[in-house]
Amino acid sequence: MALIEVKNLTKSYENDGVATSVLYGLNFKIEKGEFVAIMGPSGSGKSTLMHILGFLDKLTAGSYIFEGKDVSGLTDDELAEMRSNQVGFVFQAFNLLPRTTVLENVMLPLTYVKMDQAERIKKSKEALIAVGLEHRLNHFSNQLSGGEKQRVAIARSLVNNPAVIFADEPTGNLDSKSGLQVMRILQSLNEAGRTIILVTHEKYTADHARRILRVKDGLIIEDVEVAKRLFAKDGEELMK
Amino acid sequence: MNSNFLDTIKDNLKLASHSLLAQKTRSVLTILGISIGVAVVITILAAGRGLDKFIMSQLEIFGSDTLSIEVKIPNTKDTSTENAFGQATGVTITTLKNSDTDNVSKHPNIVAAYGWMIGQAVVTYQGQIKTVTLFGQGYNMPEVEKFSLSEGRMFTKEEEDSLSQIVVLGSVVKEKLFGDDIASGKTIYIKGKPFKVAGVSTKRGATFGMDMDNMIIVPTKTMQKRVLGIDYIHNIMAKMKDTSISKQTVEELNEIIRANHDITDPNKDDFTINTMAEAVSILGSVVSGITFLLVALVCISLVVGGVGIMNIMYVSVSERVFEIGLRKALGAKASDILWQFLLESILLTSIGGVVGVAMGALMALVVYFVAVSNNFNWVYSIPLFSILLSVGFSAFIGVLFGIYPARKAAALNPIEALRRE
Repeated sequence: MALIEVKNLTKSYENDGVATSVLYGLNFKIEKGEFVAIMGPSGSGKSTLMHILGFLDKLTAGSYIFEGKDVSGLTDDELAEMRSNQVGFVFQAFNLLPRTTVLENVMLPLTYVKMDQAERIKKSKEALIAVGLEHRLNHFSNQLSGGEKQRVAIARSLVNNPAVIFADEPTGNLDSKSGLQVMRILQSLNEAGRTIILVTHEKYTADHARRILRVKDGLIIEDVEVAKRLFAKDGEELMK
Repeated sequence: MNSNFLDTIKDNLKLASHSLLAQKTRSVLTILGISIGVAVVITILAAGRGLDKFIMSQLEIFGSDTLSIEVKIPNTKDTSTENAFGQATGVTITTLKNSDTDNVSKHPNIVAAYGWMIGQAVVTYQGQIKTVTLFGQGYNMPEVEKFSLSEGRMFTKEEEDSLSQIVVLGSVVKEKLFGDDIASGKTIYIKGKPFKVAGVSTKRGATFGMDMDNMIIVPTKTMQKRVLGIDYIHNIMAKMKDTSISKQTVEELNEIIRANHDITDPNKDDFTINTMAEAVSILGSVVSGITFLLVALVCISLVVGGVGIMNIMYVSVSERVFEIGLRKALGAKASDILWQFLLESILLTSIGGVVGVAMGALMALVVYFVAVSNNFNWVYSIPLFSILLSVGFSAFIGVLFGIYPARKAAALNPIEALRRE
């Protein structure tokens, strides 16, 4: 059973009675443990696709099957429930709360999960250890470098032990060295069995994944295994 | 209520205090708007309680078994403005006489009655010259109301009947004229005439606004003939034996005085009879009514404070659109966001309520000190219901005016909200 399966996925927006189509009947499957890059230029519809797959948005037509269940018609609260339990997000702009500590930022998704406070703290610390930031627990998010911010964001995406992590241009706001570090963490998480879906417009970044879904004008124009996969290692710099 | 719910409330309270502290000046000003309203509610209710106790203490002085016969302008109601205004502007009713007092005294349900009037005169003693209020009262006044002496004695019936120039001093007057010396047996001069001091009353406080300690009590008849040169009285005070027949007693006394005054039409009465219980009850209702009206007015200021809260909450939502989007992206339901902002609003108004209660308690204390220093028999008491009402109403304002901004926040689309960083 595929982790994600979309059939004829269509998305259009309606503004003042005028419908604008963004995605046109997409079909693909993503298995558990895959590292897939959704790649395409700006305006191709890749972010909209990620929003739908990440339960942030609803599709207009077609179906979305997640872990064997049709999730196409979920209500807003059910979508929130899925976001809380099944997915983690890493954003290009990090999206950490300012004037809030690293630990509190990582704990944020657990605020909406049934769990006692001690357990929340324990899990958040474990997630920070996984990204090598256990020494920054009580620092405020605005005291961190860009790379560290993104590592906190990865720890936050991990903390609820999601089935899949969505990373939307995670290296876009980082220098090469920090970008490499982030890609290395994502690759090692994937090695450990975590499903990663990376959204990027860069071929180089996409080549760190195992598979690339190329999106253009709302259509998937290519679905291929990465022939020469890149591995981020310490000491190297992420080329752009 | 599970521990997770409590944790969520705790988290949201922490978040709320976090964001309130991040905007200290704004939060303090918002809280102040509510606090002032609550403080005024507390002060008014505490003052109402003080006034109520004060009125009750007046009842204790006279007793609920006393009645008062006052002069009134004919064809007016005793509580009417024509009557009050007429008397205040110099209309003098001269028909209430000592013979009325005698007839009232003879009624079987009357224990004792005396006529009284008030005047003012220059009093001298050993070179000191004071203008003092003179209170013409009957020798039997202590039988009608609570009265005691700190030295000497009350003047007697014989002394009153023989128009003796004798007085009882109020404690303040005694203090002014004699200091710590004994006053009994000494002679003071009223309008240049010598009056012997029979005794000094103990401290009596203020009664219906009159400072009873800053007066000299002169026998009614002496006051009429030797001081004021009149033959009428202003009022008769009487004490009943049985209050259960007070209505009947009043009716009968009405008939007696009408007969004395040759009045056949009750509309032309030149007097009115009120029992003390009735007077206090009327006064009590007036105080309650005024208190209620004032509290209602102040509640409007709380509503205005609530509009301020609403404004601030809208600003807060606008400023934190990104945070709301992030929270929703990370799993928060619309209801979680609603609670977060609602709790923030409730926290603001509740703090305002608690601060307001403290401020109100202080203001009520100031009122208490002012009242006591003016010789009013006041109490300092903050009614528990006023605290519950104020804090409860504040929290309600928080819910009422916080709900719309909170709903706006809860309805935000996470994708659009995140784009607005």
